[in-house]
Amino acid sequence: MKKQGFLIFLIAALLVLAVVPALAQDSLIESVCLVTDVGKVNDGTFNQFAYEGMLAAVEDFGLDSTYIETQAQTDYDTNLNRCIEEGYDAIVTVGFLLADATRAKAAERPDVYFIGVDQFVGEDADGNPAPSNYVGLQFREDQAGFLAGVLAAQLTESGIVGGVYGIDIPPVIKYRNGFEQGAKFINPDIKTLGVYIDSFTAPDRGASAAGQFIGEGADVIFGAGGPTGSGAITRAAQDGALVIGVDQDEFLTTFGNGETPGAENLISSALKRVDVAVYTAIEALVNGGEDFPGGTNLIMSAENDGVGFAEPHLAADKVSEEVIAKMEEVLAGLKDGSIVTGVDPVTGELLPEEES
Amino acid sequence: MATASSTWTPVEARSWRDTLKITRTGIFSVFFILIGLWILLSAPQNIAGDASTLLTFDRTGQQGISVPTVPFAVVVALLYVAGGIVGLLSTPRLSRIKFIWLLVNGLLIIPTVLIIIAAGGRTNIVVMLQESLRLATPIVLGALAGIWCERSGVVNIAIEGMMLTGAALGFVSYTLLLQSGLGLSNEWAQFLAVIIAVLSGGLMAVLHAWLSITFKTNQIVSGTVINILAIGLTSYLRLEVLVNAEAARATLQTVQIPLLKDIPVMGDVFFTGKPIFYGMFMLLLVTHVVLYYTRWGLRTRAVGENPHAADTLGVNVQRNRWINVIIGGLIAGLAGAWFSLETSGAFDDQMTAGRGFIALAAMIFGKWTPIGAFGGGLLFGFSDALGQRFQFLGVPVPPQFLQMVPYFVTLVVLAGLIGKSSAPKADGIPYEKS
Repeated sequence: MKKQGFLIFLIAALLVLAVVPALAQDSLIESVCLVTDVGKVNDGTFNQFAYEGMLAAVEDFGLDSTYIETQAQTDYDTNLNRCIEEGYDAIVTVGFLLADATRAKAAERPDVYFIGVDQFVGEDADGNPAPSNYVGLQFREDQAGFLAGVLAAQLTESGIVGGVYGIDIPPVIKYRNGFEQGAKFINPDIKTLGVYIDSFTAPDRGASAAGQFIGEGADVIFGAGGPTGSGAITRAAQDGALVIGVDQDEFLTTFGNGETPGAENLISSALKRVDVAVYTAIEALVNGGEDFPGGTNLIMSAENDGVGFAEPHLAADKVSEEVIAKMEEVLAGLKDGSIVTGVDPVTGELLPEEES
Repeated sequence: MATASSTWTPVEARSWRDTLKITRTGIFSVFFILIGLWILLSAPQNIAGDASTLLTFDRTGQQGISVPTVPFAVVVALLYVAGGIVGLLSTPRLSRIKFIWLLVNGLLIIPTVLIIIAAGGRTNIVVMLQESLRLATPIVLGALAGIWCERSGVVNIAIEGMMLTGAALGFVSYTLLLQSGLGLSNEWAQFLAVIIAVLSGGLMAVLHAWLSITFKTNQIVSGTVINILAIGLTSYLRLEVLVNAEAARATLQTVQIPLLKDIPVMGDVFFTGKPIFYGMFMLLLVTHVVLYYTRWGLRTRAVGENPHAADTLGVNVQRNRWINVIIGGLIAGLAGAWFSLETSGAFDDQMTAGRGFIALAAMIFGKWTPIGAFGGGLLFGFSDALGQRFQFLGVPVPPQFLQMVPYFVTLVVLAGLIGKSSAPKADGIPYEKS
């Protein structure tokens, strides 16, 4: 009997030894659950892009998946619990507002992985480190803005470009300073006008700022601030200025696939690839978690295709091959680090001039 | 009480201002002297002597006149100091000149500030005036909506919610009309959508009237309920209808008034605009005429001041209030259409962004009169445009402070220029037949 017991122990031990190294390489997860912020997975905002990123990963890596559309802010916790109860190994939460709920749940359930879109993960106010099963997805908006600035500076005839921005929180500041640095990279003498508007949901005030810029002679307008920025570029495009959208390809959203008057003036959009970010984070988990920066953030930059620019669509005749080539060149420079935006990637403030 | 009033002797109303002989003219005079001296001392030091400011007037800022910055600033500063000194003289003969001089000084503030800030660059004053009027449009309309309600004695803090409802329902119906396959042209769909926006504002007002007039609910509570209801209702509509609809962001067409549009400056500012912009001026006129020159207006004011007296004289108080509240709601609905159909060509959650409340402030600022409310709305629109302009002209002040400009200007103007403003006496009090 004793012998048998020993044998069983031996077999069990061998099994464990065999499995442990295999686990280190094999997927940490078999299923993903996505919780949206208030909204739906097809609402044309972050929710949709995160969902598309998850679907692509699910398809490529053969995972199970589901999603829960949050109806009200009070439901965050309930929805996270539903994902866990149904046995999902990884949970993607979309949006800054879910940060607190996600962090709390990650501390409570160390056996589940959490990915927070647009959530900054780090030490809390008391200096406690974040749970190591939780990763935030952060973006280098300054690089996307830089590319938009490079484009604007090449296409302006008056030498004056304008930017209408939302509330001056770090992502918006990064877009602004990146844009202005990019424009100056092409033409140091360019005049950049910029306004922060204290609301993301005031398209009329954005439009009015754009009107003022055009009155000052600006002929390229960049709008970075949710509906406020979209209001600015729709108005400016209808008034004949060239415009650049933000976050996603606004040709498909704001300009309704070309239906909106002025769509022929949308020359590009500064892209923030939420889908790529979600895909990358899931991929890291599937590949054994070595690239999963638990307890910190996954920084999406030009280097990992996390930011970029959209094609000109109907404005193709206004954006020449050389202009696009220059943007590709700058994008490559941002990728290999030969070009820097000069913007602090966390606060968005301009860095002091360096000797480089 | 009785004994007190029998021995009561009139006491001269004296404030500390009278004791010190501080008058409003005096305050402004000192203000202008200080500003003038400050400009005289600082402008030549901080601005290059040969710098000039290009003032442009056309839409894209191509042509303009060049103003030498420092000489202009010095001339204005001297004007300020001289005007201030004359203002301090107590010769009654000069009072007319004093007033005009101070008024000119006041009007010169904004152009002077802009010219100084834009030294070495350019700035477009006409476009700024244009944008001020555009930004003022929903505020003035909202304030007019408030006047209709409150002049009849019903407080309406639900203007924000009514605007939001109008904005959402207007745009949703525009989208649905275009998709409906009725073969409506874009213009017809927009026109019908504006009508629906107006009616939906009116519908919210029916709720307000029903709660606060018929059921005598507290009017603040009723208004709050409507504001909250509107947020939920409109974001639900957006998710259900707009998110998946590929709606084009078409806005109402700009209309230029023939002949008048060719007047320099005025033509661009007042006679080039979109339909609701003109509608604002018409409603302003209509409200003024109805309120002060018609029987209905007289009755409305009576109901708002003293409903018992009006009732005694045969005015149906409840009916009068119902109708006025609904008219107010219809106007608020039109203001909502301005947001979604005239300006943005889209509906976004909470896109009215507090303008309904600003409208209330404009109404109080204007002492519950249409013309005054127009002034108040204009002040807000202008300060908003000015704050934006300060930001992009590079005033070395953090943007958060420049975003405060509209509210700061309101404080100063309310405290310094406008006397006490008092609401209609029966405002906010449900009418009980006694």
